Amino acid sequence: MIEIENLSITFGEGASAVHAVRNVSFSVAEGESYGLVGESGSGKSTILRAIARINPTWSGTIRVNGRTLSSKRSKAEARAMQMVFQDPYGALHPRHTVDAILREPLEIHGLRDRDARILGALRDVGLGPEFRFRYPHQISGGQRQRIAVARALILEPEILLLDEPTSALDVSVQAEILNLLKRLQQDRGLTYLMVSHNLAVVAHLCGRVAVMNRGRMVEELTEETLRAHAPAEPYTAQLMSATEGYDREAVRGYRTFD
Amino acid sequence: MTPEKPLVEVEDLHVSFRTPHGRVEAVRGVSFTLGRERLGIVGESGSGKSQTGRAILGLTARNGRIDAKRMTFDGIDILKASPRTLRKIRGARISMIMQDPRFSLNPVVKVGEQIAEAYAIHAKASRRVSRRRALEMLETVQIRDPEKVFHLYPHQVSGGMGQRVMIAMMLIPEPDVLIADEPTSALDVTVQMQVLALLDDMVRDRGMGLVLISHDLHLVASFCDRVIVMYGGRIMEVLEAGRLHEAQHPYTRGLLECLPSLDRRQEMLPVLDRDPAWMTEARR
Repeated sequence: MIEIENLSITFGEGASAVHAVRNVSFSVAEGESYGLVGESGSGKSTILRAIARINPTWSGTIRVNGRTLSSKRSKAEARAMQMVFQDPYGALHPRHTVDAILREPLEIHGLRDRDARILGALRDVGLGPEFRFRYPHQISGGQRQRIAVARALILEPEILLLDEPTSALDVSVQAEILNLLKRLQQDRGLTYLMVSHNLAVVAHLCGRVAVMNRGRMVEELTEETLRAHAPAEPYTAQLMSATEGYDREAVRGYRTFD
Repeated sequence: MTPEKPLVEVEDLHVSFRTPHGRVEAVRGVSFTLGRERLGIVGESGSGKSQTGRAILGLTARNGRIDAKRMTFDGIDILKASPRTLRKIRGARISMIMQDPRFSLNPVVKVGEQIAEAYAIHAKASRRVSRRRALEMLETVQIRDPEKVFHLYPHQVSGGMGQRVMIAMMLIPEPDVLIADEPTSALDVTVQMQVLALLDDMVRDRGMGLVLISHDLHLVASFCDRVIVMYGGRIMEVLEAGRLHEAQHPYTRGLLECLPSLDRRQEMLPVLDRDPAWMTEARR
């Protein structure tokens, strides 16, 4: 479904150039969930943004559904691939009602039965029709993220790009959103590409995970290897140890990886 | 100060805010003591954990009101203390680290100068002495090239480095109590652990009392000595950190269970059922 080959992304030129992504390759099958994990600056979100063409330049090949992507996104491609962002406060227009937020993509893509689709999208994400004419500030963070998911789903895409979809949420709300994403995937056979810094969240949703550091892919792990705490690379081992909580001795031994 | 005596004592603390929609109670009857230890306060957003920390320093917003039967620091009644006495305590003896260094540092002053200023004010030291102390402090917080970092502006340092600069600034007056409100939430996990190790050293080496406010139950349990679990402005339970997994309260249990686990595969995650009784029942 998604094939990435020798992807490199550089910002700036010459001495001040930043190599955000360096020669990364991976592929995601139809109906699969694939995770990209890493710390800040690892390039994980940049890859997602290139696929969505928010970042229009790269070198290497990005293929979606067998077709090589160009820097310009066609309407059909946009419809097939939607994105959910980290911050539900920043991702929704504060002066638009939920109805207007969900209606806009339908208008852009010229879809009919708009009222029915809006109510259907709300139902799909577990919200009642009473939410339809509320503004983002009148609903909770978790409900906002549900609206962001509804907006992505209303075009019936095949692929969802998820950029840290739960890291701005309380853990109890995170559980609800993760359950929602899992159910939607099972019901509709969606393909997920998810970026997260949280290994447990990624393991919960994704069957395979790429660990990134400073623009490079350190290794690719299956959910089983991750759960067995059996990574091949020391970088991943250190990341996993830090995720498990504070350990005074372990911290003393931390290394910097290039 | 005798070591047995608690540094901070809080009894029946209430914090409420006047809003256009009436009075909102953020903290409702919280009592605890802090010794020379690492005390964690965990809860979700709106649990009142940050407002509890702010009330100790008298940093409650203007439309807020603090009521308590008792709130003391080193035997001093914080509620009745004069603004002058409070100014002497704040920053010098009780210090606070906020979540995001980007909003807490002055963007147009070099980070080293900001640390030196904190020392100069509280220790009434000369420029030269303050500068030297600031450089030492940068080294203490494990910044590799203090001379270079001293001359950087906040926008030129990474999030992790900015947070260390903040910590250096807050620790330079050698406070007796440090209130750290989500000090590491904006940082990568490995940097997060390194920052905690620094705070750990301050508690061990200087006998500082630390209040760590966080939403991360596992982090707090692995780092602190005791953990207070808050919900709806109230304390649900107080636990020894090592025994978090023996937590009795359904709220604490619910929070633990709804976290995805790395070790165990789950089809769906249990969702927290909030019991309205938690808002009123007595503490366990």
